[in-house]
Formats: sequence, C-alpha cells, structure tokens
Amino acid sequence: MSKKYRMIHDENLCIGCQACSVACRSENDVPDDIFRLQVRVETKGTFPNLKMDMRRQSCVMCEDAPCVEVCPTKASFQTNDGVVHIDESTCVSCKYCIVACPYNARFMNPVTKAVDKCTFCYSNRVKKGLDPACVTVCPTDALVFGDISDTSSEVYKKANENNLLYPKAHLGTKPKVAFVPNKRGVSYE
Amino acid sequence: MSSNYTRRDFLKVTSCSTAIAGISCMTGTLGSLGAQTISGSTKFVKSYCEMCTSRCQIEGKVVDGKSVFIQGNQYSKGMGTSVCARGAAGHSQLYDPQRLVKPLIRVGKRGEGKWKEATYEEALNLIAKKMMNIKEEYGPQAVLFSAKTGEHFSHLSTFSKAFESPNLFSHHSHCPIAYKVAFKHTYGTGLKRDFSKSKYILNFGHNLFEGINVSSTKKLAKAAASEKTKLVVLEPRFSIVAAKADEWHSVKPGTDLAFVLSLMHVWLRDGKYDKEFVQRYTVGIEHLIESTKTTTPQWQEKITGIKADVAERVANELYKAAPNCIIDWGHKTTTGQSEYQRTRAILIANALMGNIEKEGGLFFKKKAKTCNKLAGIDIAPTITNPDKHFQTPKTLRVDRASQKGSDNAFIARNQGVLMDIPKAILNKDPYEVKGWFMIRTNPLITVADPKTMKEAMNKLDFIVVTDIYMSETALMADVVLPEATYLERDEGIMDKSSSKPTYMIRNKIVDPINNTLAGHEIFRTLAKKMGIDKDYKWDNILQYRVQQAKGNDKLLKELMSKGYVSYSIPTLYYREEKYIKDFVNKYPNAKKYLDEDGLMGSMLDNLKTPSGKIEIFSQQVEEEFKGYGVPRDDNNMDVTRGYPYILTSGKSAIHTNGHTHNVPYLHMLMSDNPVWINPQTAKKENLKNGDKIYLENDIGKEKGTVFITEGIRPDTFFVYMGFGRESSDLKRANGVGTNQSKLLPLIKGPVCSTMVTNVGVKITKA
Amino acid sequence: MNNMWGSTAQYEVISWPWPIAVYLFLAGLSAGSIIIALLVKWNRHEKDSSSIWDAMVKAGAIISPLTICVGLLLLIVDLGKPLSFYWLLISYNFTSVMTLGVIALFIYTPLAFVFMGLIFEDTIKENKLLSIFSPIISYIKSFEVYAKRIEYVLFGLALIVGAYTGFLLSANMTYPLWNSPVLPILFLASGISAGIAGNILVGMLFFKSSINKESIKYLLILDLRVILLEIPLLIILFVGMLYAGGNAEVAAIQALTVGKWASIFWFGVIGFGLISPLLIAFTALRNHAYKIGFILINSMIVLAGVILLRFYVVYAGQLFTGA
Repeated sequence: MSKKYRMIHDENLCIGCQACSVACRSENDVPDDIFRLQVRVETKGTFPNLKMDMRRQSCVMCEDAPCVEVCPTKASFQTNDGVVHIDESTCVSCKYCIVACPYNARFMNPVTKAVDKCTFCYSNRVKKGLDPACVTVCPTDALVFGDISDTSSEVYKKANENNLLYPKAHLGTKPKVAFVPNKRGVSYE
Repeated sequence: MSSNYTRRDFLKVTSCSTAIAGISCMTGTLGSLGAQTISGSTKFVKSYCEMCTSRCQIEGKVVDGKSVFIQGNQYSKGMGTSVCARGAAGHSQLYDPQRLVKPLIRVGKRGEGKWKEATYEEALNLIAKKMMNIKEEYGPQAVLFSAKTGEHFSHLSTFSKAFESPNLFSHHSHCPIAYKVAFKHTYGTGLKRDFSKSKYILNFGHNLFEGINVSSTKKLAKAAASEKTKLVVLEPRFSIVAAKADEWHSVKPGTDLAFVLSLMHVWLRDGKYDKEFVQRYTVGIEHLIESTKTTTPQWQEKITGIKADVAERVANELYKAAPNCIIDWGHKTTTGQSEYQRTRAILIANALMGNIEKEGGLFFKKKAKTCNKLAGIDIAPTITNPDKHFQTPKTLRVDRASQKGSDNAFIARNQGVLMDIPKAILNKDPYEVKGWFMIRTNPLITVADPKTMKEAMNKLDFIVVTDIYMSETALMADVVLPEATYLERDEGIMDKSSSKPTYMIRNKIVDPINNTLAGHEIFRTLAKKMGIDKDYKWDNILQYRVQQAKGNDKLLKELMSKGYVSYSIPTLYYREEKYIKDFVNKYPNAKKYLDEDGLMGSMLDNLKTPSGKIEIFSQQVEEEFKGYGVPRDDNNMDVTRGYPYILTSGKSAIHTNGHTHNVPYLHMLMSDNPVWINPQTAKKENLKNGDKIYLENDIGKEKGTVFITEGIRPDTFFVYMGFGRESSDLKRANGVGTNQSKLLPLIKGPVCSTMVTNVGVKITKA
Repeated sequence: MNNMWGSTAQYEVISWPWPIAVYLFLAGLSAGSIIIALLVKWNRHEKDSSSIWDAMVKAGAIISPLTICVGLLLLIVDLGKPLSFYWLLISYNFTSVMTLGVIALFIYTPLAFVFMGLIFEDTIKENKLLSIFSPIISYIKSFEVYAKRIEYVLFGLALIVGAYTGFLLSANMTYPLWNSPVLPILFLASGISAGIAGNILVGMLFFKSSINKESIKYLLILDLRVILLEIPLLIILFVGMLYAGGNAEVAAIQALTVGKWASIFWFGVIGFGLISPLLIAFTALRNHAYKIGFILINSMIVLAGVILLRFYVVYAGQLFTGA
C-alpha cells in the first residue's frame, strides 16, 4: 500500500528563520549559494497596517508533475508514492523541467551539472523512517510531514484542524505541499 | 580539600588526570563515553550550542569523525529535534578554513595585522611572563579580564581571581544588565515566563522570533498562533514578533516607560489590580500611586505616539486576563537612559496583576535545592561550584562597580561596566591599566564608540584575545589564542532549571582541529605557568565535572550520554491550588509549607530583597539615586540628542551579535544589513532603494545602504547588528554593512549602567 | 524584510538562453526551407536549371539539412551535460514534446540529407571529394518509385518540426508568453516565411539564375501573404494574454512596454521584420519596380525579423512572468 505523503507549512507558526534552509544544506550537501529551499518573508501593506507572509519556496512534489511530463529521458520520474525524483545519470541537463516547473523549484547543480531540487530527503531520511531535515529542525514546529492516509499521523490531524491551501492549485498540478495561510496582520492590498 | 566526595572517588578521578586534555578517559563506572555508537562510523553526541547564548541543547551526528548534521536534543522536551539556523550551521563554522587554529604573536604595529605563528607553549609562556611582569610592576589590578557570560566566563573569573585582579567584566553592561539589576531590586532573583498557558501577553520588543531561544520561541510561537492567547507587541519596527501579534503598536524608540506608567495609572485609578497580592507580598504601593498620578493615557500618547484609548483598553484587557497574563520585559528594549525605570515598571506591573507563581504568569526557578526541601526527599541531585572558594578581590575596580556613591553602585563586582573602560585607561583613573585579557568577546563591534575603545587599547602594553576568528578586537592583540569551538570541547555542568530541576552538559562532538585548546585548558595552563594555581582543585575538565557533580557518577554518566537531564516533578506554582494538590499528593512532606488557604504563599514571603518583599519602592535605590526608588517619568525618554532620526538595531534569526557573520552557511543567507527607511522619509531625503548613505552624529559617521520598507516608523531607522566588519581575515564579512556601534556614545543608563543603543542620527547621501 | 534567505540568482537565471533562440530559428528555417523547396518542386517542375524556381529547390535542399545540423549541435553544446546527450536517443518519454521532437528529428534529418543528395546528385558525382557518397546516392535512387511518398513524409515531418518548436515552449505553464496555443502556428508561419526568404537569398546568390519580373512579383506576393498571417497571430497572442488576466495580463503588458525587449519587439520584430518587408513589397508592387536588389534586401530583413522574433519570445517569455 503506497503512502500518500503530505507536507504542511503552517505560515502562522513559521518565523522565517531559515533553519530549514540550513538543515537542508547540511543534510543534502547543497552547493554554496544554491538553495533547494528558501523561506521568503514578504512585508505587505502601508505603515502601520502591515502583515508579514512567510512563503516556502521549494519543490511541492506535484501529483501531476509538469517536470515529469516534459523530461525527454525520464530522468525526472515519479515513484508509486508520488515522490518526484531525479536520476542524475540519465539527466542531460536540457533544463526543460526547470522551465516547465511553475514553482521555480528546480535548478542546475553547478557541481554535478545535472538538475537538482528538494527530494523530501527521500533516500537519506524518509526511507529510514525519519522526517525530512527541514521538518526535523523547524524551531516552531511549523512543518509537518507524513502519510495523510494514516489517520493517527500528525499530518492528518493538522489537515483536519486547519484550512489547507495548495500553492497555485488552479494549475492542476496537485501539489503535496500545502500551507496554512497567515491569519495575522493587516494589509489592504 | 573541602568537597563532598569520598577518597575513593578522588582516586578514581586522579587516575584519569594523566589523560591528555580533550580526550575523555574514564575508568570504572565512568567508562561509557558520551558517544552512542550506532554503526562503525556514525555516532550521535549530545551537547549544547554556543552559536548564541540561548545555549540550546543539541545533538550532533558525526560520520567518520566529521560533524555532518546538528539538530535539537530530544531529551529536552522543550527542544524536541528543533534547532535554529545558527545552531544548524555549527559545523559550517567548525570547518571554516578562515577559522583561527594557530596561536599568533604580533610582529608589526598594533592593529597592523602582522603575525608570526607560534605554538601554544610559546604563546602561553609569553603571556605568563608579560602578565606577571605587569602584576609585579603595576599590581594585578592593572590587567582587565572580560568575556561574555557562560562557562568560559566562570573559568575566566576563577583565573582573574587567582591573578588577584578585581577588574572582571562580563558582557552584561551592553546586554541584559537592566533587567538583571531591576529584578534584583524588585524580586531579589529572576523570574521565568509561562507563555504556553498565558491568556494575554504584552510584549515590549521581546523578539523571540529573531533573537531565538528554541524552547521559548516554540512556546511563544504556539501561544501567538493560538486563539486562546492574545499577543500585543510594542516595538518601533515591524519585526517578526510584531508580525505574529494580534496587535502591534509602533512605539517611539525610548518611550516604552510612558506606556507602562499609563497602564499602571489606569489600574491604580480604577482599583483594577490584585490588591490582596500587593498587600501581602509588596512594599511601596503608595509611592507608585503618587508617581503615576499624572501618567495618563493621554499623557503617554504625546510621548509614545500610541493612542490614548489603546492604553486604556490594553490596561483593562490585561486586568481581565489577570492573573494568567504576562507583561514581558524582554531582553533589552529601549536601552535608553530610562531603561531601568522601564524595566522596573514592567516588573512591578506584573506584580500588580498578581501573576507571580500563577499558571500563564511568572514563576521562580524550581531548582534542585528548593524541590528537595519541599518534597523532603532528594528528588534531584544538586551541583556545586568547584571554584567557589576563590575570593573576589575587594580592591577598587576601574569602574568603581559596587562602590557606594559611584554611578555603578548597583553593578556587581563580577559584571562591571564595559563602557567605563576606555576613559579609565585614557585618564589613568583611578590607576594605570596596562593589560587586557579577553575571551569570547568582540568589544570593537559590540560596545559603543569603537574609535575611543581602540584609542584606549592602543595605550595598553599587553592584550590577549582568545577567539575562533580574527575579529576586529583580535587584530588589536599582542597574542591571539585560537580556541577550540564548542563542538570540539568538553565543558562542565550547567543548571538549566526552569519549572523542574534540570542540568545540561557540553560534550565534545569532534576532536579539536589542529589540537586547539578550550578556554578552560588555556586558563588552567596559564595559571600553572604563572604559579598562581595553588587554589585550583582540578587539573582538567573531567575533574571539574566530577567536583561539580559532587562525585555523583550516575548524574555524570547520564549527562555525558544524554547531554540533558531533567527531574520530573509535578509542575508547581506556589499560588495555584490545582498544581499544589498534585505536588502534595506526590510529596506529602510539602504539606508543612502550606498556608491556611492551602497555597504556598509563604514561599514568597522572604525574597532576597532588603525588605524580604517585592519592592515596588526600593529604599536602597532611592538613597543612591534620588528619584529612582519607584518607577516614574525620569524625563529621559528622548533619545534623539537633537538629531532628526533615531537609529535602532536588533537581532536577526540568521546571525548572532558580532559572532557569526563570517560563517559560510550564515553569510550565504544574509551578508548585509541595509538601513531600514520608511518610504515617507526616503521621499523627504530624496533616497532610492540601494542608495549609499552615511549616518552621522557627534560620535561618528558610518556608511550604509538604503532599504525602503513600510516596516519602520518615519522617524526611525533600523539595522540588524553585527555588520560593518573591519578585519580583512574575515574575508566574507569584511567591509560590508553598517556598524551602528560607531554612532553610539559611551554613556550609561542610570542605576543599571546599561549601554545605550538607541541614538539620534542624521542621514546624508554618499 | 531585507533579504535573509540568500541569493535569488538561481531563480532569475535565464534557463534557455540564446542557443535555444538560435536553435528555434534554425529549426524553423530548416523546416520552412524544405517545405518551400518541396512545394516549389511539386508545382513548378521546369527543367530549366537556371530558373529561380530550380534555384529555390536547390537552396532548400542545402539549407534544410545544414541548418538543422548546426541547430542540433548548438543544442547539444548548450546542454548542461553535453556528453550525456545520447540518453536523449536511448530513453524516451512520450508525454514530452522534446522526446517527440527528438524522434521527429531523428527521421527528418537523415531524410533532409537524402533529399539534398538526390537534388545535388549530379554535383556530387562530378565533385572529386563528394563522389565518395555516389554509391549511397545510387542506392537511394534505387528506391525512386517511393520518391513521391518519401517527399510527402519529409513534408509532413517538416511541418512537425516547424510547429514543434512552438509546442516546446507552449507546453509550459510557467511563462505566460509561451503558454499559448498560438505559438506553434506563429512559429510555423514564421519558419515558412524564413524558408521563403532563405531560399530566395541562397538561391539567387549561389545558384545563379536569371529572374524575371513575373517571378519576382510572385515571390513578393508569397512573402506578403505569410507576413500578413503572422501579424494577426501576434495580435491574437497578446490580446489573448491580456484577456486571460492575472499573471498573463501583467506579463503581456510588461513584455510590450518594459526595457530593451519591448524595443526589440516593436522596432525589431514588428517594425523591421514585418512592417518594412510589407512596405517594400507594397511599394515594389504598386510602382511595378521589380529590382533584384529589393528582393535580396527584403529576404535579409525577413530573416532578421524571424531571428528577432525567436529571441524576443525566448527572452521576454522568461523575463516577464507577470509574477
């Protein structure tokens, strides 16, 4: 029975501290000045009516992934549990997937020269029963990860208790990363 | 030998003392190393972080002797596996090729940056010789000792006492001294905050979401996101904590005192405060009623810019939520001249709400000694200070701290006031100072007016700096000693008790690169070389640990493997019936501490204050500083000093003070601190985003880059601190950003002698 | 909040830079030139080798395979891992336009060479160096009975190649300027106009032929027709984006008004590449002045316009996402 992985980013708990970004870098040997993950902190409004949104910028593991669809060599492929992987050996770095990704999640790795992105720490952590590095270190527990078909999982509970939004849902990519939108602050934009 | 352990323990320990410093070698029951081996080449070691002074408990994953991943230590429930960006970047600092790993001895002019490499033996011999020479010719007081507080400070403190110099300085005066002194005067000791259960938190710039302490940050984040807690934040800029608040009010920098006084005015005017609590546990309410007679919400509006009805409403909402409310003094906020009064006012405001030892309010630390006493049995072991017999020299300090009649009268002898050092050196007042020994500190970035500080340093004969990078201060040294980073050293046990007795320990995660020494090894070796170590009862950190633990090897073993040990007791609030019932059920002996009303109020009857009560009015302060005995408007809330704009600074989640800016992972995230300027101000001053500017006042002139944002008041500027570096060996950070210390005057806030960090400036285009 | 999440350079990189734009042009030119060559061959079979039509067939036969080869080489070199390019030929993903393109090109390219071989049969046999290929040509000639069918296949593949360059871009939902069904048609039309211009240019310069007024008039009108088709396509592209709202609307406005790319569009693509040939053609037709010079200049202008269109779409598409 394949797992239905979901990651939830609670923008109310998220403080934009980038611990997730550093942990990801550590765990996955991400090259300098390149990022698999960033959290963008956007201040909106006019003084003093302001709000601050925390937006996670990373691969959202689409169910109907454009990157998988366009890869000419199937180097970008999906396993049964819906996780999108990159096979470095068959990747020719044509960058079609980078161009096709509406979430700007992919990039060319200057060291391997293949295309790279967040992998949910699949082979190095999730397969060993651990959470992805970002989820593990988040200081405010703003990230939750797990199998949503497991009703005892944190991810299920969080999805139950909150209104989840999916980034660019209108594109029909069916992302696996959802967010709980920011409730605080005032902005009349 | 005045310790409690047996001769057998002593023999066990001394048999190990021949071990080389830095390698843990234990016999018998202390045999298991702190490392828990998983596979042949992977191990997990528990320790605590030093990327900032929150000192969160961490677990380091070590693969083939290399530190590869750092996360929180799960044994600490408050941490879980969490760690912040700086903590997670620990090994980026550890393996940074730009780190200092060899002792350096100056060969060129001071500050020139010309060095010759030396061995520790050479460097330490030179230091020992020079320091003893100064001691002989000018007396031990001619050498200053300074460090940021923490374990290395304890060791430096011991060393300075062995040297017999009274001039020991912590970083308190440019950091938490205001609330430390205010607490001492009001409650006798510090108090902890129970964010999780609080219904209303009024936060004065306590930015736990950028100045992160994982355990507290997590609790506040969850409270702020919850509908059960209302968070109101007063802060000049729209910081991250302001962004998470239910209400954010942009208070004019330096004026927080006015707001607090207006709250107290409303409460006292309407009788909306815990009269019983005030009656039983405090002294001096009459003085406060007097001093807040005219501090109305309307009055404060003119000073802070916050509408009168907001003050009125917040006062009422707080009272309604009391006692499950917190008025949070933060860390240091206005750090203007009125910081002492502001903090005192906040501490007293809490007392008025009667939230002491109440759920969702404030509480005293429940250390082992107290818990054991209440329970009548030894729930938790206690630890001791193996160096407590070292005497603090009672001779005159250069800053006259603890001297009656001086403006540092209430500053403890082991804290001191850093801002008074330059003038003491330059004016040779009260005597000549010839040397300065530093560790874990960088005053040329973190203390006001580095130009004057440098001038003073140039007058010294001998400066030793122990650091992990060639900092600006290290550049001024005669000898630079590299220290092993926190990941490379074993250190002692720290009492981390909060609501339960808790201890943590620092365990070495990897072997020191290039055999760098830990601070305690440096001091111990120096003390030996200088022949001043007769009072030391330990030769290495292992013995130190054993003595701290009073020979309790069960405690030590647990600490070495888990890094963090907490003794589970039912949470106890002295004034909460429900909690007391649970505690007494488990420990019937505690019954004898109950009052007639079934509560443990008596625990608050004898505080460490002169009157034994919570001092709303402090007689001792009034005597030394007339008018400061009770919170009142001290006419000192204007920080502009005649300039059009106020420059404020603060912490970021990515960097720590002056410490981390060259660390690769962190530099990659944030490499610059542009000046936050409101669009209206930018328009007025004809500035565009990215423009180069100068900030200027009578103290100095500093460069900056414009960042236009709505998140700051029109009359204020903001920069994240720690940038504007001037050390070419900090290759990444050098030359980038604004060092706001260059614009700060070497003045002190009265009573608590806090450094002033909100200052008036003018802005010009470059 | 000032940047504390690190460099955003990787998000601002142009993933498909000039080599892609040049490739799109070359593929379009290759397809267009063979389409025109085949059309001319089928409709105007004059054996007179000095006529302009024969020159155009010859031009198409040589432009088509050479430009596609240069284009493919450019693509391989532009790959991040050029030495792994063979994976494109081994591993296929039929949902990917790129794979479909690879397959189409796999057949198209050799066929284009075959066509070239057949058209230049005599030249090859006579030339000392190229006569090595004579046996191959003869072998292929033995399938002469299938010639017409092969030409139809080549024609079909050329249409696919001409259009697929547009589908390559339009299959992306990230860039509003690309994400339009108009793009493949626009690129095909543009490719055909490049084919006409290219064939004329090369034909007249290298396969010396005499040309009469009738031919020139016909060519000018042909070119006119294709250009007149491109203009409505461009209008539909941008109007569609404006009415789509959201990101697409913002992107359209930015692409038409911001910076050097807007200038390249209005002056280069529209002004230079579409309006000037129109003016030249109209002027020539009205004044009945059919100078050879006009034709040559016209052809060069048209080709420049086609390159500029590719560059514009590739760059402006990636720069102006309307985010």
